[in-house]
Amino acid sequence: MPKPEYIYVIYIEAPCEKVFDALIDPEMNKDYWGGHCNLSDWKRGSAWQHVDYDDHAIVRVAGTVIENERPHRLVLTWAHPKDLGNPDKVSKVTFAIDEPFGSTRLTVTHSELDDEALRAISGGWPPILSSLKTMLETGQSLPMTRRRWKSGN
Amino acid sequence: MSRPEFIYVTYIETTPEKLWHALTDGDFTARYWFGARLRSDWKVGSSFEMVRSDGAVSDAGKVVECDPPRKLAYTFINLSDKYKNEFPALATFVLEPFGKLVKLTLTHQGFAEGSKFYSGISKGWPAILSSLKSLLETGEPLQIPFEALKMES
Repeated sequence: MPKPEYIYVIYIEAPCEKVFDALIDPEMNKDYWGGHCNLSDWKRGSAWQHVDYDDHAIVRVAGTVIENERPHRLVLTWAHPKDLGNPDKVSKVTFAIDEPFGSTRLTVTHSELDDEALRAISGGWPPILSSLKTMLETGQSLPMTRRRWKSGN
Repeated sequence: MSRPEFIYVTYIETTPEKLWHALTDGDFTARYWFGARLRSDWKVGSSFEMVRSDGAVSDAGKVVECDPPRKLAYTFINLSDKYKNEFPALATFVLEPFGKLVKLTLTHQGFAEGSKFYSGISKGWPAILSSLKSLLETGEPLQIPFEALKMES
């Protein structure tokens, strides 16, 4: 039986390149991703980490870069650092950015999740992506997403 | 047998009252809902209609719940031939204040398995709600042409 998959589609008034770069630029990440940032050289096969912006030793998520086709596609494996060696606990995130008829669309597909992980990420993606959109469109991210917050889903 | 359900959560920098107005005022909805004016007196049991810019009613249903500015629910089905064997499904909007933001949760449920209408609304809602968010936060809706959704004919 296939594992559950979470899909979130959001349209953003910004060019594809800006949306792609916002996902991997630590200076932009911190303002919409709860004070966290993504670190890697982003080459295929390289490691990547999602860390506390103020203390990089605090690693919340880690994985491998599977695909990087800037500015349209970024695919990463995703796991809690302690679970990296357990294939059952490693999921996959696909960021697809396309421009149907001139509007930029970001589709985030988080796949290969177990039920517990699905519940957790279902609460996380909407505020993060909502804030990313607000940041790119207004210049300022959503207030509650600039620091780590308790997601009450 | 699995009955499909569509859930979309977005966070918008606005007030519950402004968001409620945006969801229920026909002049306002025309700006972000692919030109559709939503028409109803919003009393429970009353009719609910989406009116196209040429004056034709494209979708119709009934108001099921109306508790401003917290919860709004109505059924509707598109009236074109392609959905003639389908029945209205229930769209529920829950508006929760979240600091300076409103968390909007849209749940659209009650579709039969294999519903073509479900496939259509799954593509439509992210575009409509993304455009609504842009309109409330920046003053301008998104310009997403209907063709961008690639609905099956």
